[in-house]
Amino acid sequence: MPPLVEARGLHKSYWLGEKEIHVLRGASFSLEPGEMVSLVGPSGVGKSTFLHVIGTLDPPTAGQVLFEGRDAYAMPEEELAAFRNRSIGFVFQFHYLLPEFTALQNTAMPGLINRYSREKAEEAARQVLEMVGLAHRLDHKPGELSGGEQQRVALARALVLKPRLLLADEPTGNLDEATGEGIHQLLVELNRRLGIAAIVVTHNPRLAERMPRRLRLSEGLVIEGSGEEGEVTSSGAISSPPGPGT
Amino acid sequence: MKFRKRAFLVALVLLGAAFAGQLVLRAFLSNRTLLSPDALLAISFGGEALAFLLIGFFVSFLARGFGAREMGLAALLLAIAAFIALRQLKPPSFSYDRFFASTEELILWAALTGAGAWLLGMWGASAGVLLGAAGTPDLRFGYEAGIARTHLRLNRRTALTLIALGLVPPGLLFAAGVLASLRYRRGAETSALGVIVAAGAVVAALLLVARWVQARAALARLQPGQRRKRPATVVMTAISIAGVAVGVWALTVVLSVMSGFEADLKHKILGTNSHAYLLKFSNDFSEWKSVLPKVAAVPGVTGVSPFILNEVILSHGQTVTGAELKGIDPATAGTVSELPRQVIAGDLKWVASPQDIPTSVVEPRSEASKQLEGPEYQQYLEDTLKRRQQHPEEEKNKLDPQALKALPGVCIGKEMSHQIRAWVGDVISVLTPLGEMTPTGPVPRSRPFRVACILYSGMYEYDSKFVYIHLPEAQKFFRMGDNIMGLELKFNDVDAARAEGRRVVSALGGFPYRTKDWAELNRNLFSALKLEKLAMAIILTFIVLVACFNILSTLIMLVLEKTKEISILKSMGARDASVMKIFVLEGLTIGAIGTAMGLLLGFASCSFIERYGLQLDPDVYYISNLPVNADVGQFCAVALISVALSYLATLYPATKASRLSPVDGLRED
Ligand SMILES: Nc1ncnc2c1ncn2[C@@H]1O[C@H](COP(=O)(O)OP(=O)(O)OP(=O)(O)O)[C@@H](O)[C@H]1O
Ligand SMILES: [Mg+2]
Repeated sequence: MPPLVEARGLHKSYWLGEKEIHVLRGASFSLEPGEMVSLVGPSGVGKSTFLHVIGTLDPPTAGQVLFEGRDAYAMPEEELAAFRNRSIGFVFQFHYLLPEFTALQNTAMPGLINRYSREKAEEAARQVLEMVGLAHRLDHKPGELSGGEQQRVALARALVLKPRLLLADEPTGNLDEATGEGIHQLLVELNRRLGIAAIVVTHNPRLAERMPRRLRLSEGLVIEGSGEEGEVTSSGAISSPPGPGT
Repeated sequence: MKFRKRAFLVALVLLGAAFAGQLVLRAFLSNRTLLSPDALLAISFGGEALAFLLIGFFVSFLARGFGAREMGLAALLLAIAAFIALRQLKPPSFSYDRFFASTEELILWAALTGAGAWLLGMWGASAGVLLGAAGTPDLRFGYEAGIARTHLRLNRRTALTLIALGLVPPGLLFAAGVLASLRYRRGAETSALGVIVAAGAVVAALLLVARWVQARAALARLQPGQRRKRPATVVMTAISIAGVAVGVWALTVVLSVMSGFEADLKHKILGTNSHAYLLKFSNDFSEWKSVLPKVAAVPGVTGVSPFILNEVILSHGQTVTGAELKGIDPATAGTVSELPRQVIAGDLKWVASPQDIPTSVVEPRSEASKQLEGPEYQQYLEDTLKRRQQHPEEEKNKLDPQALKALPGVCIGKEMSHQIRAWVGDVISVLTPLGEMTPTGPVPRSRPFRVACILYSGMYEYDSKFVYIHLPEAQKFFRMGDNIMGLELKFNDVDAARAEGRRVVSALGGFPYRTKDWAELNRNLFSALKLEKLAMAIILTFIVLVACFNILSTLIMLVLEKTKEISILKSMGARDASVMKIFVLEGLTIGAIGTAMGLLLGFASCSFIERYGLQLDPDVYYISNLPVNADVGQFCAVALISVALSYLATLYPATKASRLSPVDGLRED
């Protein structure tokens, strides 16, 4: 049986005028179904870029992303969209929620996109929101939620259709220790219960350490193991607080 | 690559087939049916346009997308092929002074065919793309509609506001019209329902104003921070809606007024004239008495009456004028025209029985007073009646009363009466140039007639030109024996006059009989009107078009504002077609709301114009009020055009939005 995800020699570069920025330089890795890994690396090394490429949002300059042996970027547009909808859940670094919709509506959106009826989609959304502990905030719009609550809504939205792969970009980034711990526990539990494979980008070395498998992004390559403790800690220290203006 | 080639080939074949089909259909219909040339053009080109739309739709599935290039190339080749084909076929020219179309005209036709094929094809293709032509079709748009609604802020509150704003101004206009009609008792009758609706509109308007004042007051009390900010796109949306509404309003009102003029003209022409003449390709129609019952028996024919028409000269005292003398049968004339109902003084029957024409003063009929408006005419009438009172005709002509009674009767139009200063009972001379031959050359023949009645048709030309005498008198006057010129016909359905005419001719065995219908007899007038209306429609459609550019820019703003949201939706698995649907729905909603408002305003304005009766200068227009004719079909056509153009306006922004990549919006912040 092929692995759930396999990345082969991913290259990704951006052009800024005449200057080429190599972000990924032949990154390869593979992930088995139900596997949970952490991804660490200093700020600006390309972790978000890597997740986007793996998550079929951003085609690589060179290389392939295979899902169960199928080349994702060779799929036609609507098949890829359906695949994204059914099989991949995203939690973005800046927890993008739709500002004009309530927490419930935001969480129900993937279900609606999958053409569930409104009732069915909202029922599923209510369950996941309960799971992340937001049963009392269903009708709040993102602007009326705290940062951590927004983050949890984003997680709920990623999980509502029970995808096979969860891509989480610093899901505990701007949360206090305890809440971050809670989210982490939740991820681990979901992984155990539903068998959702997950790649979790984090700057928190302790959370990273507790993952069964650890990856590190360095110089555009994926390296197994979180590397020397010192490096991670220092880069973690540098990049915290992570991300601008949240 | 394979898709493209296949799509191109199929598009080419189908477009060619549609064009050929149009030519064949037109040829077939013109040979086999009795449709008018206008109907023929409408059916064949409408069919072709529909075919182009469907071809575009179909090809979008083959090309897995718009297939703009494939369709464009196919349309170009079609234009070239059309030019070659039309050159071989030598179609008739559209200009009157040329028989076959010139090369320039053919190039124009071919280019229009090509451009039409491409544009309509793209229209159809966009529908295909929306429905998922790129892969598996997906007709649902549940969440897309929800998102579109949120973008437009179409919650219950705004919906209510929109409904109030959309209903109240037309309601007030309507109420003003009802008030005017109650006050002046002019124009359309007002039912109880109308009054209730008008009262409701006024109350609603007052409530709305009160509510608005209250809201303003509440707003003024708020702290600066508490006020909700309205995004620019919402304001732009409102402006777009207003733009479409104004365009649709102008279009409907102007077209209705022009239809009103047309209907008024038609009414007046058909009041004086019959629907068709039955004529003969020879001068001898003496068998008309046997033909008449046969014609009357043809289904669809509701009236038949014989007539003779000739040019004459009229004189009364010192005034002389030219006229069209029509010999009619007063007994049956009422079945083919409105003549008996056009009488404003005297009686049409007195034409046949001149001994009944009284020698005393005949006052105008009381119900005709409205038609006799105008200070100048009033003065004339007064003078005439006084003159008749003081100098009865008998004295002036030194005729004995018995001989006077024996003179045949003649009916003249109101303007004619004014022109030659003749009133009921006056004796006028009718002179025909077709007189006796004498050794010194032809000498005109003249006979005295007594005015039996005054007619008012509402058409200046008719009221100043036509005079009517009894058919036997006309036969005697023109020395025609028992001959007539033709039969006047009236049908059930005015608009089918041409087809009905042909049916009558075929019932009579065809040649040498022929018919000329009213549209043919007045072709110049009506084609000028139609052209004018078409020109107005095109000019005013530009207003709607400009309004649609408003929609376009609003949607582009919205797409820019929602880039992030589009990315999130795509990352959650929204398809390109779904993103497109969101923005198409938004544009269509704007267009539809604007159109609905414009139609309501247009309807209310038409009703106001009709009830209030805007005055026109009767000396210029020969029509007292601005006519309006709010036609449902016309309103529907305007609505269709407006919504179709709004749809067109959505395509560019919607396509742009659908092509955004998921990461485009995730980077910015
Ligand atoms: N669209 C773009 N155009 C140009 N450069 C880009 C673009 N997107 C990302 N980059 C660059 O690519 C590099 C990797 O960015 P990325 O967001 O993947 O970093 P990261 O590892 O997620 O960092 P952080 O931990 O701060 O989130 C950065 O140096 C960034 O400036
Ligand atoms: Mg990042």
